[in-house]
Parts: sequence; structure tokens; C-alpha cells
Amino acid sequence: MLCERCKIREANIQYTEVINGVKKEHNFCSQCAKELDFGPYSAIFDSDFPLGKLLSGLLGIDENHEEERAPQVVCPTCGTSYEEFVRNSRFGCPDCYGVFDLLISDKIKQLQGSNTHKGKKPRYHHHASETGALAEEERKETMEEGFGDVGEQIRILDARLHEALEREEYEAAAQYRDQIKALKEGTC
Amino acid sequence: MLKWFEQVDTKRPVIVSSRVRLVRNWDQYAFPARLSPKESTEMIHRLEYGLRDLGTLDRKHYEFAKLEELSELERKALWERRVFNSTIASKKMPTGILLSDEEDTGIVLNGTDHIRIQLLASGFHIAELWKQADQLDDYISERFSYAFDEKYGYLTSFPTNVGTGLRASMILHLPLLSLGKKFGGLVAEMGRFGATVKGVYGEGSENYGALYEVSNQKTLGLTEKEILELVTKVALQLSAQETQVRQLSIEKHGLEAADEVYKSYGVMKYARRLSEKDAMIFLSHLMRGFADGLVKTAEPCPVYRLMLGMRPANLQKLSDRPLGKEELDMARAAYLRAELPELL
Repeated sequence: MLCERCKIREANIQYTEVINGVKKEHNFCSQCAKELDFGPYSAIFDSDFPLGKLLSGLLGIDENHEEERAPQVVCPTCGTSYEEFVRNSRFGCPDCYGVFDLLISDKIKQLQGSNTHKGKKPRYHHHASETGALAEEERKETMEEGFGDVGEQIRILDARLHEALEREEYEAAAQYRDQIKALKEGTC
Repeated sequence: MLKWFEQVDTKRPVIVSSRVRLVRNWDQYAFPARLSPKESTEMIHRLEYGLRDLGTLDRKHYEFAKLEELSELERKALWERRVFNSTIASKKMPTGILLSDEEDTGIVLNGTDHIRIQLLASGFHIAELWKQADQLDDYISERFSYAFDEKYGYLTSFPTNVGTGLRASMILHLPLLSLGKKFGGLVAEMGRFGATVKGVYGEGSENYGALYEVSNQKTLGLTEKEILELVTKVALQLSAQETQVRQLSIEKHGLEAADEVYKSYGVMKYARRLSEKDAMIFLSHLMRGFADGLVKTAEPCPVYRLMLGMRPANLQKLSDRPLGKEELDMARAAYLRAELPELL
């Protein structure tokens, strides 16, 4: 069957529309489908995330009532709300998985056929922050002040120093040099 | 230094290339979409610094680049050569890339996820690529703590990558198999196994060049080994069927098959203007001709390299001034005339 819109290409997408109980069937080719607006389903035709945004289609069943029905769960680490996650099919940060766990577990199973990881685990474990809240605090601190671990901090400053030298920004380089010196003295 | 796509693997010619992609995130930062430019830059800097000795692991030489500092053309050319996907190519926020000289190993920093490891090879080398990716992954995990959850595995921006974060894929050349009426059904069948088969340059008859990419649909609930086995099984299955149809075609219509290959070669050898579509079709014939021994050259000819090299951004890069569409077609014809080896 040819696409009903362009009448050139083979139709490979069947779109069934139900408006007020009236059912209409359409046949489009993927090119035309991409150009048409299917609301939350449009992203399916975006070749990069064929499945990615499908989840929002699965989740956001009835758009009009979505706001009333979607639970107001917000990830405390990054501020992503469950509604935002549904809309973009995209998590804000690693902690979102834990926060939305109960809401997404079944949906992920629908999408992936499973909700339990079976494969590889990280080879090395780091004794970084334990809780999400602490991680956030630590992250903020490192963003503003430098970095938690002094050795790491020196390495970063050293890299910046070299960068500054390459760019011939000698004032900045001198500042980094002094900071490194201060840190080294502090650790001794 | 030969790029990965300049090498020819003649052993199993239907399988054009293999790719392994792993995505990982660092547990100290939110996912890229939630990072400010300042945080992104900071994180890329820390990652790059931590990975500065990466070359000691695999004895490759890596160059670091900031994507936002590259020209639009350069990014597009890298995208055409499959270094990263279109989402990363068009990303506006700070993004870094560590790329080996051969362009076979690329680590994108702060793309869609914090760390995207990609390995590419010409031919059927998926198992070796996984081994390398696994090693790189361990090397990185030694330096950065990954966002990992006992239940969901490696945590990623999109729920479609969570778990193993692994996408294994192979590009197959299926000029004859894809002509068959049953091809659509065959592709759907592969879907039931959990593998996606899609045209590299478009859907159905618009997929000029008949290159198809086979990849795993799911990333969670399967081990890496199971994912690799699944993709390999499907790729080998399709490759075997294509080979069978080709043999049949040579037995029954040998002259027609050879004629098509020679004609395509002849057009490319003398044409003054070639559109991307036409070039793709002729190169596809030639690829088949070499694979089935219908035509021969002194040295194996990397047809896939020509398929990548004749795409717009890569052609444009060869010229010192911007080319219009007509001029691009002329440049394409000139490029192919110069690059095509003499037939024996």
C-alpha cells in the first residue's frame, strides 16, 4: 500500500486515531510520519531514539488528566519531577532511578523486557559518598571550592596551570601556582 | 596511519563493519541535560585529566577535542565517519571527545551521557571489540566511580540504555536479500529475537546501497555475552542467507551479475557528476562484485571507505571553498575517479 500523504513511498506505519469514539485508520510512510504531528508519539520517528520517547507514549496515556493523575514526585538531588521524566523519557541524574523506582519499575520492564540487571558490575569500587543528600552537598562544595580530595584538587589545579600557560595567561597561572603551593603546604 | 574503515576484511565480506558502544555515568554529577555549562566544562576537564594516559592501556594515540570548538563542517564529517551520532553532532553544550588516530576508538565526554565508549572495526570483529571496550571500561572505572545500581545496573540518561549500557551492532551489505519479498518478514522475525535491523541510509527501497545495521534492542536483563551472541547470531544468519542468494544469482544469471558490476565501475570511472544516491548504488554493486569475485583488483579495495568518503561533509573538507550542490556532485565524481583502483 502506498502512503496516503505522499502517494510515492510504501506505507509502513499504520496510525489509528480514535476521536470521540470515531475510529479512523491512516497509512503513512515513515518519512511523512516524521513530518506529521503525532503528539507524544512523534519522537518514535526520530531515528535516534526509536524507543527512547516511546516510553512517554506508554506512560502519558491521557494528556488532559495527566497533571492530576501523575504523582508529584521530585528527585531531591537534581529537581527532576516524575512528570518531566515522563515527558522527556529522560532521567535527570543517577538518583532519579532510586526516587522513581516504584513508579518506573513496571514501565522499564515493559520497555526492556526486564527490570533487573544481569550483566557486568563495575570492577572497581570507590568509597565516595554514601547517600544522595551527601553526594549533592559534596558536589556543590567541589563545584565552588575545588575538590574533596586534596591530591585530586592539586592535580586539577596543575592541569589548569598548564592550560593557562599554554594560553599565555600568566596572571591566572600564577594564581593556580600559589593555590597548589598552599595546598601542598597544608598537607605537609 | 590507516583509519579503521580503510582496512578490508575479505573473510566474510557481507559483514561490512562491527561496532560496540558502552555508556557510563559518573556518580558525582547529574546527567548532561541537567548540568550547567560551567558544571559540564568542569566535569569534562576532570574526566579528560583522569584519562590523559589512556594510550598506555591500548598503545593508541588519542587526541582530545572540544566539540563546541570544532566547525560545523568538521562535526558533520566526523558524524558521517560514524565517530558519534547526530544527537551529539548537533549538541550545543560543552562536549569533549577523545579519539584515537585510527578513529576506531572514541570516548565522548558529556554527550547524552557522561562517558560514551565506542569501538569500530571493519568486518566481523564484534568479540574483539567487546574485549577492548571491557578493558577500557575497567580502566575508567578504576579512576571514576560509576553510577551503578544493583537492580538497574549502569544508570543512564535514557531508560533505553540502562543496565549494561551496551549496544552491539554490525553493518551488513544485503543487496540481494533485501530485494526479496520476504525480507520485511525476515526483519520482523529478527525483532522477535530481540535484534533491530534497519536501513543505514533510509527505509525500504530508499536505503540506497543496501547497508543494514543489526543491533540489540534491549540493554537490560541480558548479560553482555548474551547481547553479543544475539547480535552475532542474527548477523551471521542474514549474512548466510545473503551469500546463498548471491550464489544462486551467479549460477543462474552470472553474466547479468558481472555486467551490472562492470557497468557500475565504468560509470564511476568516467562520470563527471554523481549524486550521493547514484554513487551509493554503484558502490554497492562494486562492493558485491569484489565480495563475489566478479571483478578483481591487485590490492583489496575498501569500498566502504569510498561510501563514507563521498558523503557531503567529507567531500567538502577536501575542497578549500564552499561547494554548491552541483559542484558537490562534480567533486564526488572526481573523488571516485581518483580513488577507484584499476581492475585486473
